[in-house]
Amino acid sequence: MSKEDQYDYLFKVVLIGDSGVGKTNLLGRFARDEFNMESKSTIGVEFATRTIEVDGKTIKAQIWDTAGQERYRAITSAYYRGALAALLVYDISKYQTYENVERWLQELRDYADSNIVIILVGNKSDLRHLRAVPTDEAKGFAEENALRFIETSALDNTNVDEAFQTILKETYHALAKNQTAEDKQGGVPGQGTQIVVPKVDNDDESASKCC
Amino acid sequence: MASNNSNNIASPTPTATSSFWKRMPVYAPARVYMKTTDEKKEIDVCKRTSWIASPPALSPGTSYFDQPLSSASSRHGSRPGTPSIQSRRDDAIRKRAGSNNSSNSGIQPPDVPSISRTASATSRQSMDLNASISRLSISRTNSLADSAAQLPVNLTREEKFTKILSSANVDSDELRKLSWNGIPDRHRSMAWQILLGYLPCNASRREQTLERKRKEYNDWATQTFSKGESALDSELWHQISIDVPRTVPVSKLFRHEKIQKSLSRVLYCWAIRHPASGYVQGINDLVTPFYVVFLSPYIGKYADPNTCKPSQLPQPVIDKVEADSFWCLSKLLDRIQDNYTHAQPGIQRQIVKLKDLVERINGKLTKHLESQGIEFIQFAFRWINCLLVREFSLNNTVRMWDTYLAETDGFSEFHIYVCAAFLLKWANTLTNQDFQELIIFLQSPPTSDWTHKDIELILSEAYMYKYLYDSSPQHFTTTQTQ
Repeated sequence: MSKEDQYDYLFKVVLIGDSGVGKTNLLGRFARDEFNMESKSTIGVEFATRTIEVDGKTIKAQIWDTAGQERYRAITSAYYRGALAALLVYDISKYQTYENVERWLQELRDYADSNIVIILVGNKSDLRHLRAVPTDEAKGFAEENALRFIETSALDNTNVDEAFQTILKETYHALAKNQTAEDKQGGVPGQGTQIVVPKVDNDDESASKCC
Repeated sequence: MASNNSNNIASPTPTATSSFWKRMPVYAPARVYMKTTDEKKEIDVCKRTSWIASPPALSPGTSYFDQPLSSASSRHGSRPGTPSIQSRRDDAIRKRAGSNNSSNSGIQPPDVPSISRTASATSRQSMDLNASISRLSISRTNSLADSAAQLPVNLTREEKFTKILSSANVDSDELRKLSWNGIPDRHRSMAWQILLGYLPCNASRREQTLERKRKEYNDWATQTFSKGESALDSELWHQISIDVPRTVPVSKLFRHEKIQKSLSRVLYCWAIRHPASGYVQGINDLVTPFYVVFLSPYIGKYADPNTCKPSQLPQPVIDKVEADSFWCLSKLLDRIQDNYTHAQPGIQRQIVKLKDLVERINGKLTKHLESQGIEFIQFAFRWINCLLVREFSLNNTVRMWDTYLAETDGFSEFHIYVCAAFLLKWANTLTNQDFQELIIFLQSPPTSDWTHKDIELILSEAYMYKYLYDSSPQHFTTTQTQ
């Protein structure tokens, strides 16, 4: 593990939502600042990572981008376990993808940890002339369901960082709050959901980093 | 304040995967193995001849509509097992020592000498290839030597194909044997169609069969789409419509609207005929090799599909290519349909098989992957779902499929050995990587500069692994740990 790879917390995050809403490009934009016009459909899951700072702590997000098609649900839902946060994405120009948000929430209830932090993401906000989902409607839905909400465009890089930052901050704060509560109750520190990476200066490990 | 077990948090961990097995006990690894083992028969290696030489499970010329929708049965049963690794090694060494019995070897990729011949003697890869093969102590005689004897030895590869394919009754064994090492471009379309059992071996029946099959498909497709898109299954059509533009998007051919419409029709028609699986993302990738190969006779002998002008292709040509692609896709998917049914049991089974195989070949690697919290499903799922099409260029995939079609169970069984060879190729790199590096490397291995030589090397290694490890479960050195 290289020095730049050191972090205080490691969060597992999942990206879910209907096929074609732009999950892969959202992740590409966040992790590598790339937008690929020629991206292919995601088969199973794909993985990317990025490290950010929250309240002086280094948080590494390991993000699993999942295939949207129903048939892959059996495979992808296995990745929900242990995820601390989820970005539930729909396409603001396709009402059906917004309607299906309910089904995705049910998926999370069924397979994810109950305290998973969720943000509803209306992607493709650059398609103003094709908008089919009014912002207020989605915002209202998010409030009713205790979800965070944001509209993004991976294409013109609007709000993508904000979406991930918001969810990671929220997750960190939720954890910190739980941690305080646990400490007060004499709970086992750090059990289950967060890690502190040992501050090692191990040359061997640095040398093993190759890409 | 915190635990230092990053893997428990960071990955779809053993916990995550085991929960899948818990929900889907019917697909649990133990069952898979019991079933596989039950079906294995101890037979002498000489009997491999029969499966190398046997025709495809689906009989040529039979109407597709007569075929059962699910053909999972073709995955098992038809292929006999082989003796233990040691006895096979002994067998191979005995033959090498001179006791050649021309009818019972069957242990080399047919016509291996021509791999060596085509590979440059100075190429490191070709040396590796030859080394791989010689490690096996492979005798040059093989099970198909009898049929090869019918051809004059001085014919070039191209001429051999011309001769076989122009005969009144194509010898499919001989065609398989020749095809294993690659099919010349101008013969590929016909050879693939014969190997798949779409085109009859008997020349006199071909024209009539093609005409009938093409008409059958085209009439049906026309009827299906006659009432416009609104009459189609909207969810299915939507999925296909968003995937087709994402199919080989770098190719000029597949970016063209005319071709995209044609692909959409193939996928839709296939999906409604196969409700058990329906259209599953990734199947779109599997049509593309057929499409470019079947189009090639119409766009010039060696024309690059990327340089052809799809707008100039006459509709009757598209109709023919589309119909042929549909039928051949059907033939291919019939053999691996349980890769695409609910919970994708075929893929699950093959991932278990792949993991066990790699464990037996290179336990150090699997141990390292395990120690880093890597599950095979995380990287191998796509390899199997899309038959490695996503990992290689279309051109390299086409070369790989020459061999897959020459193998009896190329797309189901042999593919796992290819996946193993592909993974093991990077073993040295992988053993120095941590979880994150491993996942990122394996989801996009560096193959962009790969040529047919690289593909042929992997195929040969796969063949070697198949020969050494197939049907030898008693040689498992480790047990399931999860």
